Amino acid sequence: MPTTTEPVVRQLPQFERALAEGDAGTAVGIVDELLDSGVEPAMVMIELISEAQRRIGDRWQRGEWSVAQEHTATGVSVAATEAIARRVRATPVSRGRIVIGCAEREWHALPALVIATGLRERGWNVTFLGASTPADRLSAYLHDLGPDAAAVSCSIVGALPSTRQFIEASTGAGIPVVAGGAAFGPDDRRARALGATAWAPGLREAVEIVDTLPAVVAPAEPLPAAALAEQQGLELAHRTVGETLRERWRPQDAFAPGTAKHADLVTVARDCVDQSLYTLQGALLTGDGRIVRDTAGWVAALLAARAVPGDSAPELAGELARVLRDYPRAVELLRAHWPERS
Amino acid sequence: MDAALDRQPGDSSAQARASADVAWRHVAFLLEASRQLAGSLNVRRTVLRSLRLAVPYLGEWVMLAIFEGRGATFYACGGDGVMSEPVTVDRVPEDSALWRIGRVGRTELLHVALERDPEDGLGSLIPDEGLRAAAATLRPADVLGVGLNARGSTAGALVAVRAAGAGYDEPDVEIAEEFARHAAMALDSARLYEERVHTSATLQASLRPPELPVVPGARIAARYRAAHAQLDIGGDFYDVHGEPGDTSVVVGDVCGKGVEAAVLTGKARQTIKTAARFDRSPASILAALNDVLYADHSDRFVTVACVRVRPGSGGAGAVATVAVAGHPPPLVLRRDGTVEEPDVSGTLSGVLPDLSYRETEVWLAPGDAMLLYTDGVYEARGRDDFFGQERLRELLPGYAGANPETLCEVVEQRVVEHLDGAEHDDIALLALRIGD
Repeated sequence: MPTTTEPVVRQLPQFERALAEGDAGTAVGIVDELLDSGVEPAMVMIELISEAQRRIGDRWQRGEWSVAQEHTATGVSVAATEAIARRVRATPVSRGRIVIGCAEREWHALPALVIATGLRERGWNVTFLGASTPADRLSAYLHDLGPDAAAVSCSIVGALPSTRQFIEASTGAGIPVVAGGAAFGPDDRRARALGATAWAPGLREAVEIVDTLPAVVAPAEPLPAAALAEQQGLELAHRTVGETLRERWRPQDAFAPGTAKHADLVTVARDCVDQSLYTLQGALLTGDGRIVRDTAGWVAALLAARAVPGDSAPELAGELARVLRDYPRAVELLRAHWPERS
Repeated sequence: MDAALDRQPGDSSAQARASADVAWRHVAFLLEASRQLAGSLNVRRTVLRSLRLAVPYLGEWVMLAIFEGRGATFYACGGDGVMSEPVTVDRVPEDSALWRIGRVGRTELLHVALERDPEDGLGSLIPDEGLRAAAATLRPADVLGVGLNARGSTAGALVAVRAAGAGYDEPDVEIAEEFARHAAMALDSARLYEERVHTSATLQASLRPPELPVVPGARIAARYRAAHAQLDIGGDFYDVHGEPGDTSVVVGDVCGKGVEAAVLTGKARQTIKTAARFDRSPASILAALNDVLYADHSDRFVTVACVRVRPGSGGAGAVATVAVAGHPPPLVLRRDGTVEEPDVSGTLSGVLPDLSYRETEVWLAPGDAMLLYTDGVYEARGRDDFFGQERLRELLPGYAGANPETLCEVVEQRVVEHLDGAEHDDIALLALRIGD
C-alpha cells in the first residue's frame, strides 16, 4: 500500500480541474483509481479532497470565484467523498455507535462527511445527520440511538452559538462529544470553552480521540452569564444592527453604482458585516479574542483582493464599536483584538 | 467523614457541624444525580450515567442489574470510571439476595469481610463469576443491594461495594435507596420512551423519504426538511420508481403536517406507485390518485407534480412528460442557466370526482436539470415576506450544470436562511440532472 502522498499529490491538478468544471464523473474516477491502487481512504480525503477544498476557499476569498461556483465545486467534492463512503461501508462494524453532524447555520457538511467516512472505515457504526441539524432533531437521534459518542463539525464562526446547543444536547444526555472544524481555530480553547469533551484538529486526530473518550460525561458547565447575555442580545439584534452597519460602512462606494465591482462589493460588505457580528458572538461565548483578529484579517484580505482603496477594515471596527455601545464586552473585544491598521 | 471520626468526645458543636457537612454532601449528590438522570431518555445511556454517578459516591465498584424475566443483565463500573461489557444471565439463583430484591424490592446489606471466602458473600448479590472477581479485588467489607423501584415495580437492583473501613451506615443506605429511586424512575421513563420509539419507528419506516434508486443516464438527489424538527416525516413526500429507461419522479404535499399528514402521504405514495405499474403516463397516474383519494370521502387533499423521464431517441438527452395536480410545475434549469417553467396545470387531488389531467413534454439535454419542490419552499415566511417563486428562479442560473445534490442543498440553505429561525412547513426538494 503506497504510504507517500506522491500518487495523490500528482492527481491534485486534475482533481481541481474537475471541481472547477463541476465534473463529478471525473472527480469520482480519480478517487476510484487512487483507492484501487491501494491508497488509503484517509489519505485521499486529506491530501486530495480537503486540500482541493482549501484552494477553492482561497479562490473565493480572492474574488476569482462566485459563491455559486464554490458551491458547485464543493458538490463535486461531496460526490467524491460519497464514492469513498460507499466503499468503506463494506468494512464490518467493530466499534460502537457515533452520531455526527453540523449544528444549525452550519451548511458545510463536507468536513463532517469526511470525518464520518473516516470513522466508518475504522469500524464505527456512524449515523450522519448532515448540515444544519436543529438541536431538537439531534436530541431525538441521541435518545433513540443512545450512541457512545457524538461529533460536531463547525466551519464558520456564525455557527459557534448553535454548536454550543449541539454540545449541550449531547452532554446533557451524558454522551461525550468531539468538536472540530475551522471555526474552532488552532487549539482546543474554543472547544473546551463551549463544553466539548475533546477537540480534533483533523481526521487523523478525530479517529484517535474517539477511542479515548469517557463512557459518560457530565452536562456542559453553564457559560459565563454576562458574556452569554451579550451574545444573546447580539443574536436578537443581529438583523437591525446589520442593517445599520451596512448603511454606515459602504466599501462599495469606492466604485460607480451599476458596475460589477460595486455589485460584488455590496455582497462582500454584507458578508463582512454578518461575519463580524457573528465573530463577536463567538468570541463572547468562547472568550477567545483571536477570532476577532482572524476575522479582521479576513475582512482586510477580501477588500484588498477587490482593490478597495483606503483602509476600510479598521473603519468597520470603528462602526461596530459605535453601533454596539450597549455591548461593553463586545466593544472591548474589538478594541483589544481588531488591529487599528490592516 | 474524617472529621466525624476524629472528633473529640463531648465536642458537640464540632459533631453537629460534621454531620451537617455530611448531610449537605448527600443533598448535593442527590441534586446533581437527579439533574443528570433527567437528561437521558435512552435506556443504555441512562444505565451508564447511573453507574458513573454512583461511583465512587455510593461504592468503589457499582453494578446495575436489570431484570429480564427470570434472568438479568449486569452493567458494572469500577473506580477508574471504566464500564465493563454487559453480562446476561438466564437465571438469577433462587433465594439469593439479588433474587429477594427482585421479588420484593427490599434492601440487602451483607458484610462479606467476616466470611472466610469473600466471593461467597458477594455471590448472593453478584451471580456472575467474572463480575464477582472484579468486585472481590477491592477486598470488600460491605456489599449493598437496593431495588430499582419505580411506578410500583422493581426493574432491577443497584449493587455497590465498599472496602474495609468504609462500610455503609444507616444514612448511607438511605442515600443509596434515594439514588436508586431516581435512577429507577429515569430508567423506567427511558424504557417507556424506547418502547414508544420502537413502535413509531416501525410505523414510520414506510413513511420515511425513500432511498433514491440509481437511474441510468440521470443523477437524482432529494432533500427533506420536516416542519417538526424531531420527526423525519411529515406532509410532503417524494418518490422515484420505474424501470431502466422509464422512470417516474414524484413530489407531493398533503394538507397539514406532522404524523397525521404523514399517514396520508404513505397512502398517496403507495397509490401512485401502484397506478404507475399499470400506466406510467403522469396524467393517468394523477387521475387514478384522484379517484382513490376522492373515494375515501376524506376532507383532505393532496397536491402532486409527476414527471415521467425516458431517454430521447437520439441517445443523449431525455424526454420529460409532466403533469401536475394543484402543484407548481417543476422548474427546468438549462445547461446555459436559462430557467423555464413548463406550461401545465391541473386540479388538486382528492376533492372532485372524475378528473382528467393534461400533460406536457419537455426535452432535457445533457446537463439540463429539473427541480421539483413543495410550497414549503416558496411559502417560507421570513421577517418581511415569503421566499417566493421569484427568489427561487433568480437563485438557479448560477447553479447551471451543478450536481443535483448541490442544487437541492443550495435551495434548502437559502430557504432556511430566509426563515431566519421562524417556523416552517415541510420542505421537499427533488432535482434530476441528465447525464451521469
